[in-house]
Amino acid sequence: MSAVPSAAFNLLYIEDEPDDIFFLREAFRRVGLPPDFRVVEDGQRAISYFAGEGPFANRIDHPLPSTVLLDLNLPQRSGFEVLTWLRSRPEFRDLVVIVFSSSGRPEDRARAHELGATDYCLKPTSGLGFTAIARHLKQLWFTSVDGNP
Amino acid sequence: MPIDAIHRFQWKPRPAVSIALFVALVGGMAWLRLYIYADRAIPLAYGLALLICVWYPSRRLLWSLTLTLGVMAGFKALVVLPRHAETNFPGYAWEYHLFNLVCIAGTVHVIINLLDHLRAKHAELERRNMELLAHEEEISRQNEELQTQEEELSQRNEAIQQQSEELQQQTEELQAAHAEGARRQVLLENLLQAKQQVDGTDVSPRTTCESLLNLFPDAAAATLILRQGDKLVVQATAGTVAPDCPPWPPDRSLTAVVLEHSRTAAVADLNLRPDLAAPLGSNGRFRAALASPLRLAGGVAGVIEIYSEQPQQWTSEQFQIIEWAAAQCSLVLESQRLHDEVVAANSALETQVRQRTVELQEMVNELEHFSYTITHDMRAPLRAMHGYAGLLEEECKLILSDSGHRYLQRIANAASRMDQLITDALSYSKAIRHELVMEPVNPTTLLRSMMDSYPVFQMPSARIELAGEIPPVFANEAGLTQCFSNLLANAVKFVPPGRTPHVRIHAELRDGFVRLWFEDNGIGIAPAMQPKLFKMFQRLSKDYEGTGIGLALVRKVAERMGGQVGVVSEIGRGSRFWLELKACQ
Repeated sequence: MSAVPSAAFNLLYIEDEPDDIFFLREAFRRVGLPPDFRVVEDGQRAISYFAGEGPFANRIDHPLPSTVLLDLNLPQRSGFEVLTWLRSRPEFRDLVVIVFSSSGRPEDRARAHELGATDYCLKPTSGLGFTAIARHLKQLWFTSVDGNP
Repeated sequence: MPIDAIHRFQWKPRPAVSIALFVALVGGMAWLRLYIYADRAIPLAYGLALLICVWYPSRRLLWSLTLTLGVMAGFKALVVLPRHAETNFPGYAWEYHLFNLVCIAGTVHVIINLLDHLRAKHAELERRNMELLAHEEEISRQNEELQTQEEELSQRNEAIQQQSEELQQQTEELQAAHAEGARRQVLLENLLQAKQQVDGTDVSPRTTCESLLNLFPDAAAATLILRQGDKLVVQATAGTVAPDCPPWPPDRSLTAVVLEHSRTAAVADLNLRPDLAAPLGSNGRFRAALASPLRLAGGVAGVIEIYSEQPQQWTSEQFQIIEWAAAQCSLVLESQRLHDEVVAANSALETQVRQRTVELQEMVNELEHFSYTITHDMRAPLRAMHGYAGLLEEECKLILSDSGHRYLQRIANAASRMDQLITDALSYSKAIRHELVMEPVNPTTLLRSMMDSYPVFQMPSARIELAGEIPPVFANEAGLTQCFSNLLANAVKFVPPGRTPHVRIHAELRDGFVRLWFEDNGIGIAPAMQPKLFKMFQRLSKDYEGTGIGLALVRKVAERMGGQVGVVSEIGRGSRFWLELKACQ
């Protein structure tokens, strides 16, 4: 696997489950991606991160991501609220936001698309299944590199 | 009367008497003249004999005598006297006698005629007189009758006059009664209106009071007082009374007396009753009062009172009127009270229903949230469990013993089963709660797309055969997909090891319903077990993976779509599940 500059494919994973974060890092390793993506644990922090408020003011330590993996069931403010907030800002209108949830409910899927999610991926039933999303991300990034040299 | 004297004097002529008189007079005259004084001319006139006829008025006798005596005078003058030569007798003597006779006879005749005439006149007069008398009597009689009739008429007149007076009196009474009735009607209408508009407005009692006051033309004011707790409250007033009075405790007023004894009471002059407190709001103007209790629900709820500014003796009629009005008011109050109770009960019920609905909605929301939590939170640990078991298996496969590998496998299986259980339970609760919109569905299309989508329903995993046409059904597409998927999954799952599942699907029309048959070559189900098959968490075999929810879900969804589900099976000879749904016309 070729090394990909982490700055170009800067992922922010918004997730409150430490196990899921662990499994995604593990999956990144398995598909050959650097597992050094940034993580925020709740919806409020996610919004603060994007807004550059408080501890996230330093953009060197907390750069704006190129891709967002967004869980829906989050403490403080839900994934839907984060998505709504993001899409209300012109600078984040085109940001790639992939909703990553264990909810298979059609209404959740429909609402995510309505609010402007780029994609909706179902969380696997097993931790080992996270390789699928890692592979999906890898493909996304490399395709976009190929498509926009 | 000279006529009467003549009548009495004259004889009525009769033939025998006439003849006798004629013979006697002629004989006598002849005896005197011809026998006694035969030789002399005597001065005795023949006419004397004729005078008899004045007494005996017969003209025939008169003229017979005249004729006879004339003849006799001629005979003497011409025959007898000339024989006697000594007498020198003038020749005119006979003529003289004749003349004398005729004159007397004529005079007597005239007298007789006059007398007759007189008599006739008299008789006529008499007759007239009689007639007049009769007329007079008749007139007198008629007069008497008229008099009688007049008296009768007068009597009748008097009777009519009397009747007229009576009628007049009755009319006046009727008019009074009518006015009274009209006033009562106004009160009744007012009360009825009050009964219909029981929305708590205080206008109705006031108009009731006004109507009540109208029933007593001499009264100055009317009040409606109600007991509220241990206080009295003026509900409404009419007339010259201050309408705003604060609630006051029952004192030693007429109101208190009426309330206490529950009887209609009156005071002719309040000034003579210093023991009674003056009515509220009257400023001492009222001199007489009449009050009647309002009986409500077995007790006395209040009093209606009528006040007059002049002392007055209240009549029994006025007592009747106020008691009647009190009875009507009581009825209305009673119906108002009942209405209020019903309204209160209704509103309590509504509040309760609203509260329960809110509680139920909260419960439903909680359940919804619970489902969401299950989906997101309970599955995360399972995901982790399964993932860590897999990682352990991979990373430590060289150092793990066989039983270690087996345990890890079991952990992974348990996690998978738990996940499936959660998924099925969610599907079931969703099938129970969610509205299923019914529409025409083509089962063939649905089954074909399922068979195309899932490799487990394709060769070489399984052989699924659609035999013949399946008519369209009336169902919910998502629900029907769930049913088909569960039935097919079961059909391909419960087969003995080494046998390729074979499912044959066909349909039949049964009385407006379409029955779909799913015939498999599986292990079959013992008839004793079949009733348990569609119950929640019932698993018939420990040899096959399952949650015991699938068929319960099929039954629930089928029932909610107006259909049903069943099975025909024997151990070792496969199962024939059927799903019956409404046919789509």
